[in-house]
Amino acid sequence: MRKFVTSLLAGIGLTLACGTSVYAQDKELTIFWAEWDPANYLQELVNDYTAETGVKVTIETTPWPDFQTKTFAELNAHGDAYDLIVGDSQWLGVGSEQGHWVDLTDFFNKHKLKDVFLPATLAYGEYPLKSNKFWAIPLEGDVNGWSYRKDWFEDPTEKANFKAKYGYDLDVPKDQKALHDIAEFFTRPDKNRYGVALYTDNSYDAVAMGTEQTIFAYGGSLGEYDTYKINGVVNSKESIAGLQAYHDLFKFTPPGWNKAFFLENNQAITSGLAAMSMNFFAFFPALANPATNPHAAGTGYFANPPGPTGVHVAALGGQGISVVSYSKKQDEAMKFLEWFVKDETQLKWSKLGGYTCSKAVLESAEFQNATPYNKAFYDSMKIVRDFWTPPEYAELLTQFNDNVYPFVVNNKGTAEEAMNGVIKDWTATFKKYNRPVH
Amino acid sequence: MVVSVLNTLDPQSRAAARGWSDLTIRNIFIIPTVLFLIVFNIFPLIYSLGYSFTDFAANRNVPWSFVGLQNYRDLLADQRIWTNFVITAKYVIVSVGGQMIIGFGIALLLNRDFPFKGVVTTLLLLPMMLSAAVVGLFWQLLYSPSWGPINYILGLRNFGLLSDADTALYAVAITDIWMWSPFVMLLSLAGLSAVPKHLYEAAAIDRASSWYTFTRITLPLVAPILMIALIFRTMEAFKTFDLAYVLSVQPTTELIAIKLYRLAFQQWDTGRSSALAYIVLIMVLAITNIYVKYLNKVKER
Amino acid sequence: MAAVRTGGEIALNRIAIVAVLVVMIVFLAPIYWIASTAFKPRALATTVPPTVLFQPELTPFVKLFTKRVQQTKPVDPATYAAAPWWEKAVYDGGERILKVGDSPQLSPYPDRFVNSLIIAISSTLLAVSMGTLTAYGFSRFKVKGEADLLFFILSTRMLPPVVVAIPMYLMYRAVGLNDTHIGLIILYTAFNLSFSVWLMKGFMDEIPKEYEEAALVDGYTRMQAFFKIVLPEAATGIAATAVFCFITAWNEYAFALIMTNRRAQTAPPFIPSQVGSGLTDWTVIAAGTVLFLLPVAIFTFLLRNHLLRGMSFGAIRK
Repeated sequence: MRKFVTSLLAGIGLTLACGTSVYAQDKELTIFWAEWDPANYLQELVNDYTAETGVKVTIETTPWPDFQTKTFAELNAHGDAYDLIVGDSQWLGVGSEQGHWVDLTDFFNKHKLKDVFLPATLAYGEYPLKSNKFWAIPLEGDVNGWSYRKDWFEDPTEKANFKAKYGYDLDVPKDQKALHDIAEFFTRPDKNRYGVALYTDNSYDAVAMGTEQTIFAYGGSLGEYDTYKINGVVNSKESIAGLQAYHDLFKFTPPGWNKAFFLENNQAITSGLAAMSMNFFAFFPALANPATNPHAAGTGYFANPPGPTGVHVAALGGQGISVVSYSKKQDEAMKFLEWFVKDETQLKWSKLGGYTCSKAVLESAEFQNATPYNKAFYDSMKIVRDFWTPPEYAELLTQFNDNVYPFVVNNKGTAEEAMNGVIKDWTATFKKYNRPVH
Repeated sequence: MVVSVLNTLDPQSRAAARGWSDLTIRNIFIIPTVLFLIVFNIFPLIYSLGYSFTDFAANRNVPWSFVGLQNYRDLLADQRIWTNFVITAKYVIVSVGGQMIIGFGIALLLNRDFPFKGVVTTLLLLPMMLSAAVVGLFWQLLYSPSWGPINYILGLRNFGLLSDADTALYAVAITDIWMWSPFVMLLSLAGLSAVPKHLYEAAAIDRASSWYTFTRITLPLVAPILMIALIFRTMEAFKTFDLAYVLSVQPTTELIAIKLYRLAFQQWDTGRSSALAYIVLIMVLAITNIYVKYLNKVKER
Repeated sequence: MAAVRTGGEIALNRIAIVAVLVVMIVFLAPIYWIASTAFKPRALATTVPPTVLFQPELTPFVKLFTKRVQQTKPVDPATYAAAPWWEKAVYDGGERILKVGDSPQLSPYPDRFVNSLIIAISSTLLAVSMGTLTAYGFSRFKVKGEADLLFFILSTRMLPPVVVAIPMYLMYRAVGLNDTHIGLIILYTAFNLSFSVWLMKGFMDEIPKEYEEAALVDGYTRMQAFFKIVLPEAATGIAATAVFCFITAWNEYAFALIMTNRRAQTAPPFIPSQVGSGLTDWTVIAAGTVLFLLPVAIFTFLLRNHLLRGMSFGAIRK
């Protein structure tokens, strides 16, 4: 009998032990992001975390066009497949108001993150604007910049011809007007060379990012985000001029440039098709390496040039990382974030190829000289501006695309008509969401 | 309901003395399938029908409210939705029409003895074995004026068939025709090879012209199977999504299924997208119903 | 059968064979182009004029099976020299294979490929067997409202999948079927059933009733007659149905994307994600596509002789 009891107890003990060890292996976090290089860099970074703590971290990815669909399908069903999601800043409104994201305000204050990250990058986490409430930690800083063919720009014959035609020196464009001139100058269809590669894809936010950046530079605006005022703002003289300028630039894009995003724009440079190409900095590594870009040595980078009145601005890209409120491992996720915001992690992150938002790292000479484009990145990061971020942003984005795309790409109607169309659609949406309508 | 229909014993049926009765066999053969389809198609459909009368948005936790027919009214009054329908109709006619003509044409060519017939037929089926998303990706590249081989081979220079707003829909249709003509070809070939040889021989003895033979013997005999190809291809073309979505973002190629996707998964306007889905469903049902009626007529002839 | 051929007929036949060749070239050129891209060096994938002659390489397949990151500068010569050929190939393309310890990190492709096999084969088996039984039921027995029921079965294929995606998703979550193999198997079975029933119904109608009746007279039960007499006769139709169900289930994209995460995701949503991160890598997508095409192509090729006879939908009168 005693033997029986002993073996029984031993059995229970063994079961418990096994249970515990299974539990230990169960320490696993899943981070969801889109399929692109930074996600691979992040996988490499978190392998360190696994080595340190034994917690396995997996980065799960999905192609960009499906990223939003898949994220919200999961969140709307209150799914716990992902513990952390690296999401677009535009999702902050939905994420916070619908309770998808965990409130990280205390975490921010406890770790004094406002001093750790560059002020502009707080936009990845703060909602509503200037509320001091945070829902995401800046993870991948990114901003829209430009790459260009430095070798073409420096060619003496080109320089002379340009000067003769436009009356000033060919150089990195000092304003939007120069950008237009240079684009026009290099457009030579008979030689299969074109002036500029722009964002035009309207399946997500590409064409919106491109146009908003030009609209902002011309002193225009997509509305007052805190008061929801759009009438007289979105269709202001400046906004219309900005949209017109983007439309005018489109004439200098390569043929068939009506569904272009980061991949096409980079290829415009590597295949020698365009003189200048708009792109997010996260995609520039492929241009710097001679193995992927035969013109790597002759490729330069610059921040978006200011508009006619000197407004210097760039479209915000990049993402913050949020804790999913339906996750059953929130504690584990918070521990991970604590590790992630450490200075040494941020430094390692930048070395692997991620774009840290850490002020200390960004300001260091080491960072700025590490690649040919890091300096331009730092310059751009200080002048970022974003699209709308309230919960109804997805509708605002689709409606913006629907009105702007036909004008920019297909030359249908006028800039003013397009902007008035935007206002009409947005007003309807704001009414639906009970926003103040001006 | 279905079960009760099946339970009524048909007095004419032979109730076998041994083993299961015919009635039992019939029921266990048919009922699982019907039930299965009800659970996995009708349930979600009833859900959707419910949504279509509300302002439910799957991405918001706010309580939804009943809006009656408002969604339907808004949609039917929306000029842009009608544009989507016109685009879809154009697309279905061009792409299904093209597939029928080309597929049947190839079948006529292949309907004779020649070496490696089986291999040739299988090879021609390859396009339909690919996934639409991948086909879309590669054809986008094929069409590209900057990097694709089509413009180079045809000497089109800078004219982008896929990127031009006016021709983009045809470019998408051409890709669909490439992908699905083999399906029509296979069905037609099955039909053609089943036409009894003696009919042709009789026609040859009567010195009938080949046009006469074709229109009076071949066509009537393969018409039913062509109708079936037409039914399935029309249904599929009506809901084309992956292919067109990957190929083009032009407003001129925004098929109704793309509009639906954007309403449902980009704007998360669940109520309205459900209503639109119902409008689409009713249209497809109506069209298919006409086809099926016609098919039964053709079969009876 | 051995009718004497006239000179005109032979000429016509020659023209037809030339026409068949032209059709083959037009239809297979894109396939050839995808297949050749799978063996091209990355830089040659998008040249104008298209590159036809090149030294084939296996780099795209190495990339397909590994997790890689883009490098901003070439790797140092010592590391390069020490690397095995497959790693060198990736370095040559400006990328680096991620490592866990010393072993290369695999991409999800192999797992997803296996998932695809499990799901497509199971759902094909289910759809074909259920379809065959149901078709037999409709073909041999009187069913009240048969035409309506058949139309109902057909109608389940008319919906754009987007329509039912949201309720389906919520339903699947509620019962825990999301991200499971069985969940997708059920979905694809439901999706293929209508096609399977319609195709098999036509085929069953063609099998003369007298066969079974003779068997019944000989003392077979109805079930025995079905399994021993009807099924072998229907083999051709079953094969044709299986090919089509398999193709559909194998390539399904939308539900695979929405309904699954890590455990049960199939390959179709993965392949396009290999477009690359900074520059489209057509060679990897092509490699993924070619490997993924092989199982269907082989399956179809093996059943090719059944396909022709099996696709008649019973629409041809003998």
